[in-house]
Amino acid sequence: MSHSKMKSAIDTFLKGKMSRRDLLIKAGKYGIGFAALTKLMGMQVTSALAAQDFDWKKHSGTTIKLLMNKHPYMDSMIAELDNFKALTGMNVEYDIFAEDVYFDKVTAALSSKSSEYDAFMTGAYMTWTYGPAGWCADLNDFIQDSSKTNPSYNWNDVVGNLRDACSWSGVAGDVPGAAGSKQWCMPWGFELNSVTYNMRYFEKAGMKPPGDLVEMTDQAEYFTNNAGSNEWSYGIGTRGSRSWATIHPGFMSAYANYGLVDFENNGGKLKAAMNSQASKDFHKQWVKMIASSGPANWSGYTWYEVGNDIGAGASAMIFDADILGYFFNGNPENKEAGNFGFHGFTPNPSASAPTPNVWIWSLAMSNFSKKKDAAWYWMQWCNGPENAMAGGVKHNQVNPVRESVWASGDFDDKIRGTSPGYMEQYNSSIDGSKIHFTAQPLFFETTTEWAAALQEMQTGSNVDETLDKLASKIDRMMKDVGLA
Amino acid sequence: MKINRKLFPYVLTLPALLVCVGILIPFFTAVYYSLQRYNLKMPHMKGFIWFDNYVNIFTDPSFWNTIRVSLTYTFFTIIIELLLGLGIALLLAKRTWLNNVLGVLLVLPLMIAPALASLIWRLLINPNFGVVNYVLSFIGLDGFTWASHPDTVLFTLIMVDVWVFTPFIMILLLAGLRSLPRQPFEAAELDGVPEYYKFFRITLPMLFPFILTASLFRLLESIQQFDIIYALSQGGPGESSMVFQVSAYLQTFQYTNIGKAAAMMVVLWAICYFLCHVFVKQWHKLKIKTKGELLQ
Amino acid sequence: MKINIWSILKFFAYIAIIMFFLFPIAWIFNMSFMTNDEILRKVPVLFYEPTFKNYLGLWQGEIAIEGFATMYVYFKQNLINSAILSVGSVSVTLLLGVPAAYAFARYKFKGGEDIAFTLLSFRFAPALLIILPLNLYFSEIGLYDSYFALIWVYQLITLPLLLWIVRGYFEDISPDIEYAYRLDGHSWFQSFWRISIPLAKPGIAAASLLCFIYAWNNFVFALILGSSAIQPVTVGALAFITASAIPYGLIACGIVVSVLPTLILALFIQKYLVQGLSLGAIKG
Repeated sequence: MSHSKMKSAIDTFLKGKMSRRDLLIKAGKYGIGFAALTKLMGMQVTSALAAQDFDWKKHSGTTIKLLMNKHPYMDSMIAELDNFKALTGMNVEYDIFAEDVYFDKVTAALSSKSSEYDAFMTGAYMTWTYGPAGWCADLNDFIQDSSKTNPSYNWNDVVGNLRDACSWSGVAGDVPGAAGSKQWCMPWGFELNSVTYNMRYFEKAGMKPPGDLVEMTDQAEYFTNNAGSNEWSYGIGTRGSRSWATIHPGFMSAYANYGLVDFENNGGKLKAAMNSQASKDFHKQWVKMIASSGPANWSGYTWYEVGNDIGAGASAMIFDADILGYFFNGNPENKEAGNFGFHGFTPNPSASAPTPNVWIWSLAMSNFSKKKDAAWYWMQWCNGPENAMAGGVKHNQVNPVRESVWASGDFDDKIRGTSPGYMEQYNSSIDGSKIHFTAQPLFFETTTEWAAALQEMQTGSNVDETLDKLASKIDRMMKDVGLA
Repeated sequence: MKINRKLFPYVLTLPALLVCVGILIPFFTAVYYSLQRYNLKMPHMKGFIWFDNYVNIFTDPSFWNTIRVSLTYTFFTIIIELLLGLGIALLLAKRTWLNNVLGVLLVLPLMIAPALASLIWRLLINPNFGVVNYVLSFIGLDGFTWASHPDTVLFTLIMVDVWVFTPFIMILLLAGLRSLPRQPFEAAELDGVPEYYKFFRITLPMLFPFILTASLFRLLESIQQFDIIYALSQGGPGESSMVFQVSAYLQTFQYTNIGKAAAMMVVLWAICYFLCHVFVKQWHKLKIKTKGELLQ
Repeated sequence: MKINIWSILKFFAYIAIIMFFLFPIAWIFNMSFMTNDEILRKVPVLFYEPTFKNYLGLWQGEIAIEGFATMYVYFKQNLINSAILSVGSVSVTLLLGVPAAYAFARYKFKGGEDIAFTLLSFRFAPALLIILPLNLYFSEIGLYDSYFALIWVYQLITLPLLLWIVRGYFEDISPDIEYAYRLDGHSWFQSFWRISIPLAKPGIAAASLLCFIYAWNNFVFALILGSSAIQPVTVGALAFITASAIPYGLIACGIVVSVLPTLILALFIQKYLVQGLSLGAIKG
């Protein structure tokens, strides 16, 4: 009896005409618990979808298999998966691997041309390898086909920069999203880079989050020098492992903010630009900061160490992915959980706004799949506005890639309630957020060598010489593949 | 059913050989790749280039760095593990309660997968949360840079390798020690021979075949080591701990440069082949020599 | 008990060895009862309230982090997989390797040393050399994600090891006893089974344990050649690492649990390892 009243209340809420708070109060009145409410909402969204003029059940009975990374986005999708199965009558199997080994698994699976997996998680940079190798399907074929895509899909709801960032023509130097680009993957969740800081420590030190890189260096030095008598160990956490993952977060964001580029593009011929004078000056500043106030074992730092340290209160701030801070802040197992603040960061004193580099977790379709249309059904559901909303509000699908989720009061409430400064950080940073790298096939070679060079500089090698060596090494690699 | 005496040894050994022979197909495929310019993400560039890959890696200074680092790593791990393993085996040779218990407990480091052991060691030597660093702080050594500095990274890696793999040598030598015939020792006791003579002229020579076998497998494993190095330093800082398989991993999985990776691995295979050939020859020579000495 | 320079040195040697090798083990055991909060401290926590959360989590298959998320843990299946793969591999290796080791030790036959060296040479091939072509072929012939295929591949690791260790032991056994037994009218197989194998027990025991350990700890073959369902504990333990924490307590717990089967095997084999041979009476 109160079920139907609940249903109409949910309907009103879904149409955006009732606040979440009111919905919860109503649910309480009708004696419906939170878990039951969640389930009801899921079912209702699903029936709304099912009521569309679109044959959701076209591939009923088909089973698809996914290859997924162990990630909160994955957990969020699994939590909602029953709704998909009910909607389409399809069955979905999935293999999950830890992120440390995940990409190797994907490379092995795709390089063997196996039809075992139909769709998988990936990052945009990986598709610069998968696309030209012929391993993933061009999703434009599906998105633009109205017979295959449901009417409420609304591809344009995806934040503009991200749609482009996940597409590329395959020609070195071509901007992602430019004419002739193929949509190798579609954005599912993304990260932009900013400062997450321990509010308690900053208050103790009487500081506000840094305005630029120079101020960050000074603040970090303060924290490091005063570590002995306090709970923290050092000032600034950034990544440092010998891997592409070290270059793309905070480092590249700052690099781009100073107007620097990785390559000069002369009509498709690329020349390494890390050893320009401006770049050398930037590197000197960055290395100075890390050497004097970064973690002692910086060269082993990955996402986990950076997060672990701020989570355990060892570092005062980090310049890394915003959701890194968000996840560690939300996990009560971390000692300092709940004490983090977020701050959009403009490293260049002469720049006016942040220009973060973005990492986009995306969904891609295996070109060797024998069930592409069925796989597309899953992909469009997974990435549709309904599921994105469910993921963003109910689970940990942060940052969501759809404007509609960001604009929803619900999501806003949730973020503001848990993460001070996060929405502001997003709003100030999103316009300048894109992939600042030059799209080219030797992305991993370039960035890994760059990380190795950073490591050498951090342990004392001369910055100018190391960068010159790096640039000539990369130029040689480019020459070998005909791109110089 | 009477099997021809001549054929009998083949009957015993060929099943083992046949089971393994299947692996030759992927092996030759890989060698075939090594003769091509073959990068998975640039299929239009695929082509037969004969030995160009080999020429390229041998003229690349970073490859020589890889050889140098790998051989250094291999050399020190084997030597230290041999000496330590032999020492421990000798210490535990007598069958006392303590020795028996320790004989089992000391295998524990080997039982943990190297990748996981490295993860734990990373925590132990962590400057912020590591218990080892905490203890060292009492003697002022907590600034030690472990895997974060080119000067200390190899030491750190070798230390973890020693921790994980010394039990391997220990087991083999302990089993060897306990299987030595008592006769020569009893004779030596009767003759009033001093301890060190017993050790150097009886124990050690009789142990040599076991020592060689143990070293052989440790050699193969150390020179191909991946897990420990990748987990602790990924070949860095810079290039200071870049060993063969880490480099090959990057080439294969991250850069998808299959041709170059295969060439590098074939070179590693050849180095293993050569070193083992020498080892096995020595093993045969020593066998004959020890048998001869024992007959005295 | 004589107190002299030797026994003092021996005492310190024991201490040093126990500290270096066993302290980290004890620490891992310790950590398995702690939460991350307690582990990641500047000053190590010595007195704490032990929690069984980690062990419970592994057993139940999920760990709930208050107000955040539920982490699903598939460790039980990983353990079963490791057990199947290791026991299977070692069994096959024993079956193939012990007779072959005997043959190399006893008989001088044409091409014998070459075959022995060839069997050793399978260890020369670094895993990365063959892994992608192997994956390609296995996928094509339908051997992706199969225990059979993995046990087969594991032979490359375990067979050479067992072969060359056991060979050494067989060579050390004087053939005289065997001849005597055969002269009494027993068949070759009876002599092999009742005399040769028991005499080589320490070697076979040591080799089996080592092969089991290597099969158990192998990483890369199962990762590439199989789906999630077939992954052993080595890969499974890595899956504990999430985007919001490296749960050292849980990983330590996983290590403790995954080491237990091997430890039990080692204890079982112990009595074979310590058995001395009574060869002294026969030789010379």
